[in-house]
Amino acid sequence: MTRKRWWGPLGLVWLAGALLWAGKYNTTVDIGRKAPGFTKLPGTDGKTWSLADFQEDVVVLVFLANHCPWVRGGDKDLLQLVNEFRGKSVRVVGLAVNLRPDDTMPAMKEHAAKIGYNFLYLHDPTQETGRQYGATRTPEFFVLNKERKIVYMGLLHNSPAQMMRDGAVHHANGEPTQHYVRDAVRAALAGKPAAVAETRAQGCTVEYATR
Amino acid sequence: MHGRVRDSLVLAACLLAAGCSRLRPITLQQVSFDEFQRRLAALRGHIVVVDIWATWCPPCIERFPRMVEMHRRYRDHGVRFVSLSVDNREDQAAVEEARRFLQRQNASFDNYLLDENILKAFEKLDILGIPAVFLYDRDGRRRYRLTGDDPRRQFTEKDIEAALQSLSTTAPEME
Repeated sequence: MTRKRWWGPLGLVWLAGALLWAGKYNTTVDIGRKAPGFTKLPGTDGKTWSLADFQEDVVVLVFLANHCPWVRGGDKDLLQLVNEFRGKSVRVVGLAVNLRPDDTMPAMKEHAAKIGYNFLYLHDPTQETGRQYGATRTPEFFVLNKERKIVYMGLLHNSPAQMMRDGAVHHANGEPTQHYVRDAVRAALAGKPAAVAETRAQGCTVEYATR
Repeated sequence: MHGRVRDSLVLAACLLAAGCSRLRPITLQQVSFDEFQRRLAALRGHIVVVDIWATWCPPCIERFPRMVEMHRRYRDHGVRFVSLSVDNREDQAAVEEARRFLQRQNASFDNYLLDENILKAFEKLDILGIPAVFLYDRDGRRRYRLTGDDPRRQFTEKDIEAALQSLSTTAPEME
């Protein structure tokens, strides 16, 4: 068989694999899959961090972008999430993978200081972490359990917030009533699966450089 | 006499402005999802390009001039361009910004503002986010759904143009 003839079957195998791993909305990873690692990403704290550095039972990764009104609108809710699990074995980590100047250092440091981010905020200039998680929105959340398997991905809660032109925050569905990340973290801490494991993330599109 | 001078000046200004020759007012019409579908159905017989955008989406804003330029090149080849803003219709400043942006861009095609809750809008449109571009054939069937939903394969302007070339038998040369 010539080399060319292999592409058809190999393509099908790749497609089957991609579909097998994909979630309902996420095109790359699925619930229950081992969370992709990341290594030595620079943080707004001046240090570098790897996924393996976090010893907490639960890790919440959230893909963010300073420029995005859905991130700015949700900042307050995010701070509240971190405060809610203070003293518990939970680590929240923000990840920026866009390459726009307003989404990278030092704009990240400025934004983190202005809002008072109470969690690590890392940048991946290779965008590889975003690609491996299939993250295409900001904000987009991933909850990892003690075994570092993905147990939830998608929205923070059922009423994503957008910052309006006048600076006011507008929740799309009023006061949130379903707190997906909070509930998934609580379930993971209790060693249980999340009742809602995947939702359709809402926000700005992550722009990946063409390779 | 004054009227004629004024008309001549307006005509000259329009001829100078690219794409203004049709003298079509640029408007932004607020429509429900169902109404939008009806408007799309009314375009059957044309190839239709729908650009889903918002003023809060930098890639949409950056791409928009290219859409206007494609519209200029394809409009005489049976292709209709439609823009659909998903800006928050309750944010008057954003709606006004969208209107002004379309005017600045001289977007002389059908421009709509979706009158829907954004989560429901994305569900109904079957997209995760914007920018997103849909292309419909002359029978009104959606043939291309170009999105940024897959990090391994986000669409570019070239994909829009390639889709247009495949749908239109009289398409101009790609630029």
